[in-house]
Amino acid sequence: MTIIAKRINIPVNRSEGDLEISVEIENNVVVNAWSSGTMFRGFEEMMIGRGPLDGLVITPRICGICSLTHLYAAAEALDELAGITPPDNALRLRNLALMCECIQSDLRQAVLMFMADFANQKVYAELPLAAEALRRYKPLSGKSVFSVIKESKRLLEIIAIIGGQWPHTSFMVPGGVTFRPELPELLQCRMICSHFHNWYEEQVLGCSLARWREVESCTDLDNWLAENPAHAGSEVGFFIRFSRQAGLDKFGGGNDCFISYDSLRLPEKSSIQGQSGHLLQAGFVKKEKLHKFDSRLISEDLRRTWYNSQYPPLHPEDGETLPGIPVINDDDRYSWIKAPRYQDMAAETGPLAEALIADDQLIKDIVKNQGSSVMVRELARLLRPAVFLPPMATWIDELIADHDAPFYHKVKEIPDGSGSGMIQAARGALGHWVEIRNQRISRYQIITPTAWNGSPRDTAGRRGPWEEALIGTPIKDEQNPVAAGHVIRSFDPCLVCAVHTISRRKKAGQLNLGI
Amino acid sequence: MVFNLPTKIICIGNRLQAQDAAALKIYDILRTRKLPENCRLIEGGLAGLNLLSQLEDGGRIVFVDTVTGFTGPGRTVILSVEQVIATFENGGYDHAAGLPYLLAILPRVCTGSLPEEIIVLGIEYDANGDLLNDSIFLEKTADLTMKLARNGLKDNRKQ
Repeated sequence: MTIIAKRINIPVNRSEGDLEISVEIENNVVVNAWSSGTMFRGFEEMMIGRGPLDGLVITPRICGICSLTHLYAAAEALDELAGITPPDNALRLRNLALMCECIQSDLRQAVLMFMADFANQKVYAELPLAAEALRRYKPLSGKSVFSVIKESKRLLEIIAIIGGQWPHTSFMVPGGVTFRPELPELLQCRMICSHFHNWYEEQVLGCSLARWREVESCTDLDNWLAENPAHAGSEVGFFIRFSRQAGLDKFGGGNDCFISYDSLRLPEKSSIQGQSGHLLQAGFVKKEKLHKFDSRLISEDLRRTWYNSQYPPLHPEDGETLPGIPVINDDDRYSWIKAPRYQDMAAETGPLAEALIADDQLIKDIVKNQGSSVMVRELARLLRPAVFLPPMATWIDELIADHDAPFYHKVKEIPDGSGSGMIQAARGALGHWVEIRNQRISRYQIITPTAWNGSPRDTAGRRGPWEEALIGTPIKDEQNPVAAGHVIRSFDPCLVCAVHTISRRKKAGQLNLGI
Repeated sequence: MVFNLPTKIICIGNRLQAQDAAALKIYDILRTRKLPENCRLIEGGLAGLNLLSQLEDGGRIVFVDTVTGFTGPGRTVILSVEQVIATFENGGYDHAAGLPYLLAILPRVCTGSLPEEIIVLGIEYDANGDLLNDSIFLEKTADLTMKLARNGLKDNRKQ
């Protein structure tokens, strides 16, 4: 007997950009998946022929949510080209801003976008925690929604103080930063950071960071949940309890390959320690084993994309972004997202990858005992501020203590040559590769975290990470495939930033998303 | 000269998208004009929810944004806060939430003083026209923006 799978399209709202997901279902379970980025953007091509510094202004416009990460990557690429290491204070300010952007993104994504589905009464009304989920996450009235908006807004004031504005600040330049904060401004940053730290402990963790660090295994986690009502009632506690009731720990795992770049370069003189000169270390994890990362092993496979692909997969230093002519409904080529590969393997990036590569004991134990899942991926995101907040406070203290030291080393010109800026953005590994010839940009290639996570198949037919993660997802109701939405949203997809017009007409169709 | 209320003119849009760039053309025009000292001109860009901090000092807010489906192509329309919020389809936040979400959530999360008056000046996108290069239309719209900023909705209901 031949079983004919049914192919349906999955609506995925609350996502950044134009994304279409279609899946094949057999016996109410996803057996195959295709992810398509439907908008060609072409920032790489826009850069060619421009002055070397233009990437600092143009590439942050790739995204209104993570603009600062693009600025950071663009500045690092030019640092490398200029052969300069910014002074310690510049590194502190750059890191501080990047961490603020990541934290606000993490918490808004988790509470306002991911957990908004927990308030979906059509799906979860029967769960014992449904009423509480509604009180917390109902759009425009949930208490957690209000709390996260207020606190994340406050945190972003740090970037406004040191960078002049957010989003789309331009305070990072090759050689350092353009602004030297005065003591009162640094003290204000310290106050905001401290306030946020207290709120994060009280509301998100329900305990001190010190207590949370003692949670190193699944058993520890269960004990922590039972230990104190404040733990069970915190955002993390509630998320875990609801996720277990909803079965989010049972699907959405992916292909067990994870990738991260070195990120948050450490000042030379700092009490904050890390590896290879960075707070976050690069690595590649395959089947729970950590491998040393080598950036030369990255390539971009275009075989299943709508780009011209006359070449074999190339390293981004040699790559191009030349659009072909898309043929709609062609399963062979189906996306404007390229397919980045590491050693020819698809790899997931983001907070879960960071935690596994950083040897986070709790996250590793969950993955070891229960496998990767929607729940652990989103949990890693909720917990990332616990990693960032202590060094943020320390770096502000060091800035206060050493604020007379330089914030900028002069860069007379950007010489011809090649440079790369590879960092960890909120959604994972972000790389800019730039080549300068005759004082003009001759090549600019960008691999975003969502290119890693949302990539289409490659030459060998290997699925991208979230295509793979969808396999095995239960679809109880084809008209309301919320589980598939959970899988995609747990990666925090971010495809583009484009049009925000106010429209009276209802949107037609079910696939094209928001921005 | 000062306005009767402290006023912020916030122009919203995306310079890289022609169909969403009209309000930023108005920003560019107003930037060349001398504004009263109690009037601030702000390039809102794609800041969306992150404009909250601009809305917590009381006073008058005049948003300029591109709209579709409210009036004829290439025309302007004044919208109430309620009209803007009514365009909000799912009530939830996403990266595209924009002005409707911002105005809906504002009273619930404001930690300062709510604006005394909020006006939205919509510029209806014209798919077949060349709005961004129509200097007469853009100048007239900039004039209307200043009028709204100076007097609020008084005497500005009719265009």
